[in-house]
Amino acid sequence: MSVTSASGNPLSVLKRHLHAACAATALLLGAGSVAEAADLNALIWCDHSDPALLQPFEEANNVKVNVKEFEGTGAGLAIVEQSQPGDWDVMVIDSIDVPRGVEKGLFEPLPEDKLPFADLFAQVKMDGSTVVGGKRYGITEKFGYNTIGFNKTKVDPADMQSLASLTSDKYKGKVAIYDYYLPVIGMAALAIGKKTADLTEADLPALKAELLKMKANAKLVGEVTASQTALATGEVDILVGGGEWVTAGLAKENPALDFSIPKEGAVLWSQSLAMFKDSKNKDMALKFIQYIMSPEGQARLATSSCYWGMPSNTKAALTDDQKKVLRFDEQPGFLARAQAYPAPNADLDKKMQDMWTEMLQAK
Amino acid sequence: MRWFVRIASWAYALAVYGFIFLPVVVLVLFSLQATSFPIPPFTGPSLRWYDAVLSDTRLTSALVNSLLVASISSATAVTLGFLSAWGFARFVLPGSGLLRGLITLPLTVSYLIIGMGLLVLFNWAGVPKSLLAAGIGHVVINLPLCFAIIYSQMGDHQINIERAARDLGAPEWKVLLLITVPVMAPAIFAGFFLSMTFSWDEFVISFLLTRFETTLPVEIWNLLRSGLNPKTNAVGSLVFAVSIVLVVLFELTLLRRRKA
Amino acid sequence: MSASANNPQAGRALPWALVTPALGWTLLFFVLPFIAMGFSSLTAHEGGGFTLGNYSQFFTNPSYWQAMVNSLQVTAIVTVVSVLLAYPFAWILAEQVPERWQRLALMLAVLPFWTSYVVRSYSWLLVMAQNGVINRALTGSGLIAEPLQLANTRLATVTGFVHFFVMLLTLTIFANLKQLSPSYRKAAADLGAGPVRTFLHVVLPLTLPGIMVGAFLTFVLCIGDYITPQILGGNNELLMPQLVMMQIGRRGDFPLASALSIILMAVVTIAYLACARWLKIERA
Repeated sequence: MSVTSASGNPLSVLKRHLHAACAATALLLGAGSVAEAADLNALIWCDHSDPALLQPFEEANNVKVNVKEFEGTGAGLAIVEQSQPGDWDVMVIDSIDVPRGVEKGLFEPLPEDKLPFADLFAQVKMDGSTVVGGKRYGITEKFGYNTIGFNKTKVDPADMQSLASLTSDKYKGKVAIYDYYLPVIGMAALAIGKKTADLTEADLPALKAELLKMKANAKLVGEVTASQTALATGEVDILVGGGEWVTAGLAKENPALDFSIPKEGAVLWSQSLAMFKDSKNKDMALKFIQYIMSPEGQARLATSSCYWGMPSNTKAALTDDQKKVLRFDEQPGFLARAQAYPAPNADLDKKMQDMWTEMLQAK
Repeated sequence: MRWFVRIASWAYALAVYGFIFLPVVVLVLFSLQATSFPIPPFTGPSLRWYDAVLSDTRLTSALVNSLLVASISSATAVTLGFLSAWGFARFVLPGSGLLRGLITLPLTVSYLIIGMGLLVLFNWAGVPKSLLAAGIGHVVINLPLCFAIIYSQMGDHQINIERAARDLGAPEWKVLLLITVPVMAPAIFAGFFLSMTFSWDEFVISFLLTRFETTLPVEIWNLLRSGLNPKTNAVGSLVFAVSIVLVVLFELTLLRRRKA
Repeated sequence: MSASANNPQAGRALPWALVTPALGWTLLFFVLPFIAMGFSSLTAHEGGGFTLGNYSQFFTNPSYWQAMVNSLQVTAIVTVVSVLLAYPFAWILAEQVPERWQRLALMLAVLPFWTSYVVRSYSWLLVMAQNGVINRALTGSGLIAEPLQLANTRLATVTGFVHFFVMLLTLTIFANLKQLSPSYRKAAADLGAGPVRTFLHVVLPLTLPGIMVGAFLTFVLCIGDYITPQILGGNNELLMPQLVMMQIGRRGDFPLASALSIILMAVVTIAYLACARWLKIERA
């Protein structure tokens, strides 16, 4: 582009005025953000943007909840880094990634006595990652499984008890893969008999081979909606990485959708709420967390329009039908066989993402 | 031979029209779907999804935001474009060709790259994401367009009218406001209208540069990501309807102007 | 364009006052961001030191490289197919449709342009899905037994793109054809050329520059677009914009995203230079 040639002359002028210009712009644009101080600013996943969840809280506390959706901890932390201190009040984060936020000095310890810890499913408290240095920084609000979601009228449910079916010829072209690298890499690890918590760089070649086999069987690799849609509309019969978060919300429309926890196990996803240390509105932030963790808040979160999931609070005010769809009563057995998300360090994380890119590009 | 060309032409034109309208017809038809999936079989007609759209405050406020960003950024772009076009057309400036090239340069760059650049710059300068930031980006993409349109329409006969006004003693600002702007009105209007269109429909810059308050295309994208449902069809059909009304109004005012 | 009308009364300040706002805006919000992006692309994501690693990754990682190859292939196919579809259509509108109906015909041809851009891609997904309109029609009429895989393929991405660009190119080519003075054609006819020869030797060469401009516009808009491949391609392959957005969305890796954007821009520049030169030769 002729940018370089055209700007040769203005460049020197530009350099001199660079900082003055930036400062002026910052001032100009900064003015717009002052008004937001009284609101609650939440960095969230799409399930928290459901008005049915937020509106009761907003009305009860006379506060406006501003939400920003993101996908993946890396992106979420990047958003925080680009913001000014105090811009954010609460954040939804993978339970296993809470320490990453703590290391960056972002979070405020949560008061255990003011939150319903005693009512949580024991296995999803995830103290190993939500408690750092003896202080609790995150509380698990919702969980579920990345496993096999399928249409039980189109596949043999018995086959869905083994991850090997995902790469078998029998289901070639009938498979969609959920486009999020961590859980699906976790499932590939289970398929080759590895523990998700122990993955190292040495495992990558074997994982890649497994992923490529899955890709060869797959019709598409899709985000939440695309993969949900593909399963619900019959485009595919199996969703790798699917689970109650895909099938439960669609149960009314398509009761044939189901999920299984195969014999090799499944990957447990678990999302936590954390409060920002620099929040200017900590009282309201705590109130928000208390609301989400209350039986009513938990029920609304569990059945949110974006995706359903298990509430972490055993006392969630769900109807019997909702509990049945979520398989509420089978949870102890499921949890016993589930393994956590892989939690790679920054270096391995980058390598895993590159591996994922390679899988996407594979023909 | 003539007959053959005629028939082939008709067949071809109909086929292309079919191709162009197929997704729109499907979109509108399934916005009237009664059940939750916008795919066959058709279960409607029902207006439940229109109801859902109109009661969704995120969508309605995004619509207002889009209108605001589009009109303010287009007005800015057309003002800057007009002033610079006038400057370049009426006065001899050193390095004029190069400078004009600089102004039109953003036309050859993908929106994604313009958005990325602004994101990196604002990030570095500590400028928070906002509708204003997105609006700035929209001026960047629309300014070259307005400039090119208006500049290309500045011909010699307008120069003569302006000169006559000056000879009669009108100061420069009066010439600009009372002579040049009215004479150039069609080009200015065209620039503004095109800018509105592009801003109204722009996704990636708004996506990268806004935070809580966002524009309609980004909100539609969020909607799309949160589940496939006929609500997306309904919102798309509504946007389509509003746009068509605007286009028709534009055509009517233009036609009236021509006849007058 | 004559710029000879400068009048002696106006000082040197006025012309600069007129052009400075636009130039300033372009410098501040277009050139400066580009420089910032250049700096960013030379910074390490972890640590922030100087590095060429963001660029070398592109050249050494085959899956990144593949994204560019895919982008170029898709863009080339889209550009060629769109021109081939749009030209005859624009010609029919300009030559076969009676004058009084032309405006209406053209309006109709670009009407879907006014549906929201995001929604347009999404509609194609509905049309091409396994249970979508096309497959229902084909299986229902007994033409095929099994539904075709249309959505979530490169074909779907290309179709979505072509749909948009046929409208755009029809507009530009139509305008071009209308600008041709009828006397050219008459002259050709007087010299004994039939309609086919007139078209090949007069109309086509005269509209070629317009086609090139339209094709270049198609190229720029297509190669930088994220929405269409993301919605319609089913992630069965990645194009450059998807790769760029992935670096931001998944990891907040601005330096790598900047480097990839600059590489993409370099490719567009090469295309631009190639086009520009070609156009000049045509005119000479």
